Amino acid sequence: MHHEIKWESDLKNGLTRAVAEKKPVLLDFFNPG
Amino acid sequence: MGAVTYPKPEVVDYINQNFIPVQLQYDTQPEAADFNITWTPTMIVLDETGKEHHRNVGFQSPEDFVSFLMVGQAKTYFDHNAFEPAITLLEKVIKQYPKSAAAPEAAYLLGVSKYKATHNAAPLKEAFEFLKANYPDSDWLKRAQPYSLL
Repeated sequence: MHHEIKWESDLKNGLTRAVAEKKPVLLDFFNPG
Repeated sequence: MGAVTYPKPEVVDYINQNFIPVQLQYDTQPEAADFNITWTPTMIVLDETGKEHHRNVGFQSPEDFVSFLMVGQAKTYFDHNAFEPAITLLEKVIKQYPKSAAAPEAAYLLGVSKYKATHNAAPLKEAFEFLKANYPDSDWLKRAQPYSLL
């Protein structure tokens, strides 16, 4: 079983899920190096 | 964050249970401009409308990061005048992560949340006394200084 963070890669999709699941969004801006 | 903090099981579990996690490269537009991203990593807690409630720039240890997330949740509740769930989360930060970077802020916000919930000023002074006893070098003690006069 994979034990990892299930990142979304699209903020609009994340916000749609946030409304449906009644959760806040954690938005992480990263530098892939 | 990706090498040290994000792989930790307690971090994975906390995020997957309590947040919708979204990861964007630092130059993704229009989001990078909308959120004024100038350095990475930048982690932001948003409500479901996309409004920002809490932010951190820079690396955080697993303990500091989970407590940051809890304060972010609490501030989101607080900003929506939902003080009871905010109080529950802030008390958890202080109890479970007393040595975290977020704990002094949690203590300050706990006093403010209790005041906003009850209109009783005593929790503000209690917050000052708690910060003075436990986090004497904290910037949050300075912010609570006026409450010592209540």
